[in-house]
Amino acid sequence: MGLSLAQRFRPARFLRGEGPEAGPLTLRARRVFILPTRRGLVFAGLLLSMLVGAINYNVGLGFSLTFLLAALLLVAMLHTYRNLLRLRVELGPLAPVFCGQQPRLPVIVGDTGHAAHYAIALRLPGEAAVSADVPADGWARLELPYRAERRGRHALPPITLETRFPLGLYRAWAHAHFAAQLLVYPRPAAPTPLPGRREHAAGTGGTHGRGTVDFAGLRDYRHGDSPRHVHWKASARGQGLVTKQFDGERSEGLWLDWAATRGGVEARLSLLTRWVLEADAEGLRYGLRLPTEVLAPAAGPAQRRRCLRALALYGETGA
Amino acid sequence: MSGAGRLHGLREDLREGVGSYLRRALAWRWRLVDPARLWLLAALCLSLLPHLGRLPWLLILPAMLLLAWRLAFELRLARLPTRGLRWLLVGLALAATLGSYQTVLGRQAGVALLVIMLCLKLMEMQRPRDVAVVIGLNYFVVITVFLFDQSLLMGAYMLLVVILITTALVALSRPGSERPPWADLRYALVLLAQAAPLALLLFVLFPRIDGPLWHLPEEAAGASTGLSDSMSPGNISRLGDDDAVAFRVQFDGPLPPPGQRYWRALALTHFDGRRWSNPDSAPHQRPPARNLDLQVNGTAVDYTLTLEPHQRRWLFALDMPVSLPRQSSLSPDFELLAREPVASVQQYRLRSFPDYRLQAQQAPDAARYGQLPAAAAPRARLLAARLWAESADAADYVQRVLALFRQQPFYYTRRPPHLADDPVDGFLFDTRRGYCEHYASAFSVLMRAAGVPARVMTGYLGGETNPLGDYFMVRQSDAHAWVEVWLQGRGWVRVDPTAVIPPARVEVDARGADGLRIPGLDALAGSGWAQAVWRRAGFAWDNLNHYWNQWVVGYDRDSQATLLQALGLGDLDAQGLAAVLFTALGGVLGVLAWRVFRRGGLRRDPVALAYARFCAKLGRRGLARGPAEGAEQFSRRLRAARPDLAPQVILVTRLYQHLRYARHPPRDGLQRLQAAVRRFHP
Repeated sequence: MGLSLAQRFRPARFLRGEGPEAGPLTLRARRVFILPTRRGLVFAGLLLSMLVGAINYNVGLGFSLTFLLAALLLVAMLHTYRNLLRLRVELGPLAPVFCGQQPRLPVIVGDTGHAAHYAIALRLPGEAAVSADVPADGWARLELPYRAERRGRHALPPITLETRFPLGLYRAWAHAHFAAQLLVYPRPAAPTPLPGRREHAAGTGGTHGRGTVDFAGLRDYRHGDSPRHVHWKASARGQGLVTKQFDGERSEGLWLDWAATRGGVEARLSLLTRWVLEADAEGLRYGLRLPTEVLAPAAGPAQRRRCLRALALYGETGA
Repeated sequence: MSGAGRLHGLREDLREGVGSYLRRALAWRWRLVDPARLWLLAALCLSLLPHLGRLPWLLILPAMLLLAWRLAFELRLARLPTRGLRWLLVGLALAATLGSYQTVLGRQAGVALLVIMLCLKLMEMQRPRDVAVVIGLNYFVVITVFLFDQSLLMGAYMLLVVILITTALVALSRPGSERPPWADLRYALVLLAQAAPLALLLFVLFPRIDGPLWHLPEEAAGASTGLSDSMSPGNISRLGDDDAVAFRVQFDGPLPPPGQRYWRALALTHFDGRRWSNPDSAPHQRPPARNLDLQVNGTAVDYTLTLEPHQRRWLFALDMPVSLPRQSSLSPDFELLAREPVASVQQYRLRSFPDYRLQAQQAPDAARYGQLPAAAAPRARLLAARLWAESADAADYVQRVLALFRQQPFYYTRRPPHLADDPVDGFLFDTRRGYCEHYASAFSVLMRAAGVPARVMTGYLGGETNPLGDYFMVRQSDAHAWVEVWLQGRGWVRVDPTAVIPPARVEVDARGADGLRIPGLDALAGSGWAQAVWRRAGFAWDNLNHYWNQWVVGYDRDSQATLLQALGLGDLDAQGLAAVLFTALGGVLGVLAWRVFRRGGLRRDPVALAYARFCAKLGRRGLARGPAEGAEQFSRRLRAARPDLAPQVILVTRLYQHLRYARHPPRDGLQRLQAAVRRFHP
């Protein structure tokens, strides 16, 4: 993909890199920028004063040293630039996180140029950098810290790769802007008993087990029902798969209802999140009732994911 | 076992235990030290060593102690001083500098201050930025060493120091990464090796301007060798045998005959009875020559003179120069004087005419060239009056005095007896033993006593051809003094009274060194092949030094112009030269960029390479290795997909893992891995 001259010199390319891209990307010369660091500028100033000293005192070896260091300044530029070139950047698996956590973004940086890369630092905007060496034909896995402070779906900000190796006189950098989304669940509220649990307090810890308080009747088997609740005797009689229903589930399971919470939107979402986590931990069948969306009761990791996702995206358009 | 024996054993155990504990503790500590700081401390220590003799102990000793303190801190053996103590140390350092030099400006004091302050900076070096500052200033310390010594050996030593400093800078840019200590050194060497061609281009082509950019304060003559600006024969009773080279000369044409190899430097016109000096005090205050009445005949001698620094302002030229080096002037006595003291190797081209007439038209100032103190040399005055009365004219008188030296038992010796009373009379009538200064002084006094204008000239006589380098070396031991007398119609004429002493009356001391290099004398001095080899090695070494001086230390605007002329770039103006410089730099940088940027530009790792080839072979069969797939994981997947390849896959993977991760990798592992990959055909 070529770039027009105007595109090439867009300042955004220097600051944020090119627009979000899918998949792993390899740093070619187009993406790698380089500028002297402050240390580099001070070094150049030092060289100038050395040159003046050499002229003033007519020191032949002073000229030699000054020119050797000036040449070093030029060569270091090539090496700093090379150090970032032909790196392959790839995102590791992205797991959703809860708001307020300090999660880490896994990034894999590999070499494609048969040469080692040293002190490659990666960071997300406003976060601490993490650095590693990448051996020749090898890779390094880095975990970039970031903060999840708002629930919802966030576009991954551009990752900045930079290096000052070998002399710290230049900083070469490149931006890797992946078209990936980070899903941030709401922050779970402080542990709160599940709704309706107070009424059925006697059932918890009873011999019947959780959510299996009183037999209430039979219904057709639905995908996701616990095998323990299947009426196997009825199946044996040829009545097909039927599921026993118990009073504790109120026939449809536990409902986590927006209407049962109080407070602001975020507080309600936080509480619902906590309930989802607790219900899931207890292995219950549960459904989620939000003003905009209703998720039918079910159990298991898929249900947990569905519910948390709905909570995370509550109020977002196109959720 | 007896009680004493048990006690002894216990003590042994204890000693053993303590020793091993210390060893372990120290090993642990070395590993703890940030390599950048360790390299830096080593480099700083080595860069201060050449200053050891030069800077006062009051400063260099504390500097070394501060270095040791910092090393102890890095090893977690000591704490850094508190803020208050640091300020106290800064105050003490300033006081010590002021106490040693009475100033903090100037070359010596400035260097001393830089060194001590840099070492004090070690006491508060915390962040990487501080380390970078110290590293940068350490490069500056290297250049201060060159202010005093630019010899070939010092240059080589300082290159080593520069490598260490650069290593420290490399180490600083890799904080906290695990690597063997020499990895940074190797990288620094690669960088410097690649920088070398660029540095060479800059050195040759970068436009040189004449210094100084501002006037340098006159330094107290500290390290000056060779000639001095006065002469007191009789005071010194032993002439030094300094074999150091004073300057080297390359003649464009044939060498002038030995009798004309007089290198003039200073004229001494004032005699106070013991000491000859120049009344115009310091050389830089001498007025420029007004009477430039110089007629020359015969063929010119063109030559390039490479002068070793002597911290004085006078320059040397073959009698009699007709051109002036840049930034120099001619005094009324036809001395060549540089505008600044010669503090570093200098090269200049000169043209001289051995056959000349100087100021023949006009009689010189009788007060200046006839001056004699009233009480000096009464017996010599009587002798002069007697000889003058016998002489037809001044020229005849000169011949009569020379004949006196030749015929009377005057001896040449480098160890003359001390002359307590009137040194001229003492020499002429009592001891009659002396070297060039005695003869020149006595001869001048005899001339002046008879009213013949005369002045003592000092400089060098002779020299020696380096057979390996086709140039001429003039040593400090060639220093000489002679006389110039003014004769009607002929002007100033050079007379060397020492030269009339017949060889039989020249005393050669044990070493055979002799200021008056009489042909055939050298043959007496050395015999045997060892001496010949030694002599030849000396010539080779001097030749090397000559090239060093000519092309590195003394490379200046003139040599640049000469070189550019030889390269066919002589006609270029400044802009053209800049264009050439930038084009050449760009070209070399391009080649370097190609080397650095090509795949596997750095040293390729053979283990990784062999494994990569193994992966590539599988990749062509549709079994590409995932980007984050470990070797073990990959191997498991391969064995599942292609059970037929399992033995080979296991072999390659295990060899690769051993070579990569085992503490002691198998010695022939690499060969076996490479062979296994070569034989592998999935």
